[in-house]
Amino acid sequence: MHIPDSFMPLSQALIYWAIALPFIFMSLRWARRDMDDMKIPILAALSAGIFAIQALNIPIGMGTSGHMVGAALVAIIFGSPFAGVLVLTLVLLVQGIVFADGGITVMGANILNMGVISGSIGYYGFVALRKRNIDIKVAAFIGAWLGLFISSIATAIEMSLAGTFPLVPGIVAMGTFHFVIGIIGEGLITAIAIGAIAKARPDLVDDKAVESSKEATL
Amino acid sequence: MSNPNMKLLYVVLALAILISVLAPFLASSDPDGLESAAEKVIGEERFAELEETEAAIDSPMPDYAIEGKGKLGEIIAICLGTIGILAISFGLGKIIKS
Repeated sequence: MHIPDSFMPLSQALIYWAIALPFIFMSLRWARRDMDDMKIPILAALSAGIFAIQALNIPIGMGTSGHMVGAALVAIIFGSPFAGVLVLTLVLLVQGIVFADGGITVMGANILNMGVISGSIGYYGFVALRKRNIDIKVAAFIGAWLGLFISSIATAIEMSLAGTFPLVPGIVAMGTFHFVIGIIGEGLITAIAIGAIAKARPDLVDDKAVESSKEATL
Repeated sequence: MSNPNMKLLYVVLALAILISVLAPFLASSDPDGLESAAEKVIGEERFAELEETEAAIDSPMPDYAIEGKGKLGEIIAICLGTIGILAISFGLGKIIKS
């Protein structure tokens, strides 16, 4: 759901930059506090993996395709939605500047939708489900799916404010396509990745928020 | 290398390169969710008009391709992006910590 420049007037695109910038700033502050020499390879690995998988559009029927966003996966592994914001900001910068995938003036909106909204909802959805002792893969699936779905609705609303889409048909079309993309492209891949990492490197799946709340109830 | 996470980096990088090489052959060329929604709700004509509007800047490898280089160009473009973003995030991590 990379918005191209022509889909949004410059004046509005700048507003989304103004909203996105504090999140980008906070993601850099998160990195300064939380990053260390041990974690830098994980950050680099996830950034590269997410760039590659975003190039893989999966057909979902209805003459439409979609790909994973990945902010939820990054946020779950690092235990912070700001990790997702940081990785998606880097990925969107490279995609926009080098590959003309997603606009430059609208990049703030794309960072807000894919980095902030899909990653935060995915992460907090995952944590909420884990606190209810839901299986880690199921929690990752539902969180990631919900994050992508909600961010597509946000995009539809922005497109309506931009005068590009009519509101209700826009929400229906975006919602329908991303309901399905969220299942295949986001939920399933996130669940598989989290499952594989939890098995191979259980220390890496940051369940701290969940663990501390469990201890408190004991 | 004493950092066990370097092994994870190599495994994920190998997977990412594999996806980068296969993506030009496997990826669907159908419009994505946003483009498809645009076609549907604003009509193909207006959508085509918006699609043809020039981007704010000229990108060196638009649409993950190198002009005149076909599938090989696409493979090279995506691989360059994958390795580039790896270097950028690794470098950013190092700079932030120094």
